[in-house]
Amino acid sequence: MILLDSVTKKYPGDSSPALDSVSLHIEPNEFVFLVGKSGAGKSTLMKMITKEEIPDSGKIIIGGIDLDYVKKRHIPGYRRRLGVVFQDFKLLPRRTVYENVAFALEIAGMSGREIRRIVPKVLELVDLLDQAKKFPYQLSGGQQQRVSIARSVARQPKILIADEPTANLDKLTTQEIIQLLKKINDFGTTILVTTHNENIVNNLQKRVVTMKDGKIVSDQKNNGFYKLDGSSTTKAPTRPVQIPGHALKRQQIMVNDVTKEQRKSSRKEVA
Amino acid sequence: MVLDDKTGAMKEKKLKKVTKKSLRTMQRTRQHHPVRNEARIIKYGAKGFGRNIWLSTAATAVMAITLIILFITVVASVILTSTAEMMKDKIDITVYLKPGLSEQILDNLETIIRNDPNTKSVEVSNSEEEYGKFLKENEDSDEIISVLDDEMKALMIAKMQGTMRIKVYDVDDLSSIKKIVEEDIYFRDYVDKEKAPTYDVNQAEIATITSWARIARTGGIILAAVFLVISILIIFSTIRMAIFSRREEIYMMKLVGAEKGFIRGPFLIEAEICGIIAGLIAATVSYFGFEFLAPRLANYGIDVTVIVDILESNKLILVYLMFVGLGIVIGRLSARLAVSKYLNKA
Repeated sequence: MILLDSVTKKYPGDSSPALDSVSLHIEPNEFVFLVGKSGAGKSTLMKMITKEEIPDSGKIIIGGIDLDYVKKRHIPGYRRRLGVVFQDFKLLPRRTVYENVAFALEIAGMSGREIRRIVPKVLELVDLLDQAKKFPYQLSGGQQQRVSIARSVARQPKILIADEPTANLDKLTTQEIIQLLKKINDFGTTILVTTHNENIVNNLQKRVVTMKDGKIVSDQKNNGFYKLDGSSTTKAPTRPVQIPGHALKRQQIMVNDVTKEQRKSSRKEVA
Repeated sequence: MVLDDKTGAMKEKKLKKVTKKSLRTMQRTRQHHPVRNEARIIKYGAKGFGRNIWLSTAATAVMAITLIILFITVVASVILTSTAEMMKDKIDITVYLKPGLSEQILDNLETIIRNDPNTKSVEVSNSEEEYGKFLKENEDSDEIISVLDDEMKALMIAKMQGTMRIKVYDVDDLSSIKKIVEEDIYFRDYVDKEKAPTYDVNQAEIATITSWARIARTGGIILAAVFLVISILIIFSTIRMAIFSRREEIYMMKLVGAEKGFIRGPFLIEAEICGIIAGLIAATVSYFGFEFLAPRLANYGIDVTVIVDILESNKLILVYLMFVGLGIVIGRLSARLAVSKYLNKA
């Protein structure tokens, strides 16, 4: 569903690349956490998927679309196929909750009747039907994020990507949002969530991809003991990285390199 | 997913085919409902105008004021030009002829002068007609009337010069007429040598009026152009400020996958609504303002007939349309420029 093949991106003026030959393959209906500290390259990776940024080299294929062929004029149409959720919600401030969700459908050229049918359903899904007439500033952070999720799923995208969706929320609302994302995943949507919060990752035992300095340093099925610094990863069985062809080889080598380094460092700590 | 499990490599050709097909489908759905899209754009434009009422009001006010200033400039230029033209029209050259010339001679003189390309019109009056004019000019004055008996009349007619009043197209260049009056054999004989033709006397006056007319015309055009540019700049920066405060919104819409036209549309509609309202306000204010001022200006001998004619005929609707049209054009242009700055970024 989502395939990145040795994607490299270096911003002009930076000494090291933001993404250094990153390869990642996410199957349909997977729920994947992309974890890493800020500056690890998570956001850049997300921007690659939404085609906000263009890679210097490498291939990106999203839902059967090779992004190389997505020209500027295709971008709006391409983005409408994705569900995107942002850290700062990115709701339209001058439009009501209802209008914000309806906007996603209007830009796709849906009829008024369809919109009137779908929007209440989606708002019900995120439990905000009674707030439909309010403006974003009248809502709490969690509610706003739910509106943002409602907007992104209204078009029933096959892929939903969420960039730090809980970074601005407290613990309880964070759980709400994650559960909501899981519910959407259960409906059959592929979900990619970035975060630097270990608790959410451990709460939901799903695949976790860890990034550091623009590289993927681990890719595993979470057993509930994930730590961002990698200290407890030894307990978890390493999940074979499913990337076909040459990308697979490179990925394995990289993962091995890192585990060796990690072993060394843990030995040093013991000593 | 377009992958071949056996080789573990992507099939480039198939991938390209699938991608192109999906992109084509995307493009098709985009162009599906132009009318529906337009209706939504107008709806959100109108809503946006209401929800940003303060900024909308500010933009409208600025626009109305600049439109009024523009109107004043244009009107002032028109009035000045027409006043200057009117004064120029009043100027004529009077050639004094010897008294008691026969009709035949006067006709000949008239024909000669009329043949000059610079001549607009000629009015010839003989001594008797001049006497009639004299009577008419002084009919209120009892003192003069009382001394005029038949004997006096005969004396006056015998002494009074016939006149030839010549109006010309080009006041600045009187050389050809001067040449005729001074050198033509006919004129040489019949022009009264004692009283010189007036072109020299009027020369200074003619020069001032001509230069005023020129200043009014070119100055008016320049000033109107300058004000047009200034008003576009003011309106542009006002609208740009309004849109600057909403650049995040533009970015958000882009991220969610809205087409450029769909993002831009409501902003353009908002600016157009501002333009329409500003145009109506400016036209109404200008109309009543001018209605109020016109008679006062006329008292000073300023020619306001051209503008009054327009404002009091059914051309008034044209004036309104012009104002509104100008408002719409300026508003739309500025909004488009302002939005595209943020729309084309990222």
